[in-house]
Amino acid sequence: MTPSAIIRPARPSLRGALTYDERAALLFLAPLAIVLLAVAVFPILYSFYISLFSLRLTRPGRMPFVGLDNYLTVLSSPHFWQAVERTAYFSVLSVAAIVVLALLVALLLNEEFPGRRVLGALLLVPWAIPYVANALMWKWIYDSNYGALNGLLYQLDFINSYMVWLGDSPKTLPLIANAFVWKEVPLAAILLLVGLKTIPPDLHAAAKVDGANTVRRFFHITLPQLSTAFALVVVYETMMAIRHFDLFFILTEGGPGDASNVVAWRIYVETFRNLSFGTGAAMAYVLALATLALAYVIIRALARGI
Amino acid sequence: MTIAEATLSTPVRHYRTHSSTRRFGRAALLLVGSVLFLGYVLAPIAWLVSSSVQSEREIISKPPHWIPSAPTLQNFKAIFAAKDKAVTYETRRAADPASGGFIPSTASSLLPSMRNSLVVACAVVLLNLLVGVPAAYAMAKIHFRGRQASIYVILTTRVIPDIALVVPFFLFIRNLGLLDSLWSLIITYLAVTVPFSVFVLVSYFESLPDELDKAARVDGCSRLQTLLRVYLPLARPSLVAVILFAFLASWNEFLLALMFTQTPASQTLPIIVASFTSDFTISFSFINAAGVLAIIPPVILALIFERYIVSGLTAGAVKG
Repeated sequence: MTPSAIIRPARPSLRGALTYDERAALLFLAPLAIVLLAVAVFPILYSFYISLFSLRLTRPGRMPFVGLDNYLTVLSSPHFWQAVERTAYFSVLSVAAIVVLALLVALLLNEEFPGRRVLGALLLVPWAIPYVANALMWKWIYDSNYGALNGLLYQLDFINSYMVWLGDSPKTLPLIANAFVWKEVPLAAILLLVGLKTIPPDLHAAAKVDGANTVRRFFHITLPQLSTAFALVVVYETMMAIRHFDLFFILTEGGPGDASNVVAWRIYVETFRNLSFGTGAAMAYVLALATLALAYVIIRALARGI
Repeated sequence: MTIAEATLSTPVRHYRTHSSTRRFGRAALLLVGSVLFLGYVLAPIAWLVSSSVQSEREIISKPPHWIPSAPTLQNFKAIFAAKDKAVTYETRRAADPASGGFIPSTASSLLPSMRNSLVVACAVVLLNLLVGVPAAYAMAKIHFRGRQASIYVILTTRVIPDIALVVPFFLFIRNLGLLDSLWSLIITYLAVTVPFSVFVLVSYFESLPDELDKAARVDGCSRLQTLLRVYLPLARPSLVAVILFAFLASWNEFLLALMFTQTPASQTLPIIVASFTSDFTISFSFINAAGVLAIIPPVILALIFERYIVSGLTAGAVKG
């Protein structure tokens, strides 16, 4: 970057095609462009390229071109589709819980009362802590021998003896979802709170004059006015849930059996444990495209509803 | 009674007769809501903290001691002492005198990993500012061809799941010979965090008046001078937000660190903490103390800079 090119005020450009502003913009954007091209755009394209080869680190030096075979292998595998089902179950469960809890939190924090600011600050705590610490915390809470969940339910007489939680297949995904929801609710609540603040107070005042009670005003004013914020939360949290990896790694490693073997976990195992980079990349590409398509569909569907 | 009177008087009367019960009901509802909220958000963390100051003997009591009867800092002492203790397969079979349980073989890496996390996070923050600020200013204030397109490109790079990038990232870093170095993390974290930083900054720059820009230009400022002298001082809240987001994202990141780091030379805190949890024979109290150490910096930052974070989050999210 030559500083003189920026500092010198608008002089007639020798290159003619670009104005001073455009050259300045080019220089300002260049570092970002280089970073994103090298570490985002190139990997995305390279990932597609790899997915066309049979690349196994257990067999270095040989990398035969196989075309779309990796995709066929992935898409025709019943294990892959079972993983897709688990990811879908986990995501729907999580996003539904996040939306409901975040709405309740946002409604609470939208009221004026003493202590509201303290609650608002505390809300950021789950958002800020690392997922690894979150996972460790819930692993300890769910522990079947000494965990807090067992202790609490036992003391409240809901259970007669300590139970197995994460190790019990039907409970595994809902319990992981619970840990995910706890960490994701704050951001969703903040986004919904912003939505609530943009509702013109006149709307509620007018409805009150018309005799609408709190419940009716909630369903006929608050909820419809929040639709954009809902769309944002649903799309964002769905994308987060589909790609989520950390909790699965620490809480269950895909187990027990295959109970929490979701797509993100499969990609990791295929790539770094089976060392099959070609099929791993193909699976990752399918996931990325599915995520984009899903985000598009959700936005379209919600936009039509608005 | 005319219609006008009826519509005016009914809600008013309705309001008066119920106002005191209503006010009481609202207060009760807010109180119940606040208590539930506090319980939901704080109970898991309180239990983590409570566990971290219990001895191994106390932590395995049934039912658990919610409030430790004999709080102790020995777990934290064990962490800070672990650096000097060579933990081998043989020695770790003997119960650690400090924590009363087994300490994990990776325990001695805990403090170096915190240092690694700190170095990476600070470098990522710095690079985010260097790369993000000029780009955001250009996108918000300079009218150039392809401005809209550049925003869409950045948007797209944000929605690609990081798990989808593991393979190319890994080969890329390996070919550069950067595996197991802090640079592998700094480079990839920069790419992962900078789009969000740009969104936060663009939406903030856009909220500042264009007239400042014109005035500075008329006074003979170059674009760079306009950015540095006029906009940067005004953009402080968004800079704070960007610094915090980049720092927290780097401090918390797990998946990429899991792939790129192999030895204590580059392993970050989440990797070491995660390595504790995979070992069931080790002291629960020790793991919990490590968990507490991992959450202290982010929690403190979040509580101090709450307002900046909330405004930054909403700006970045609405934009993205």
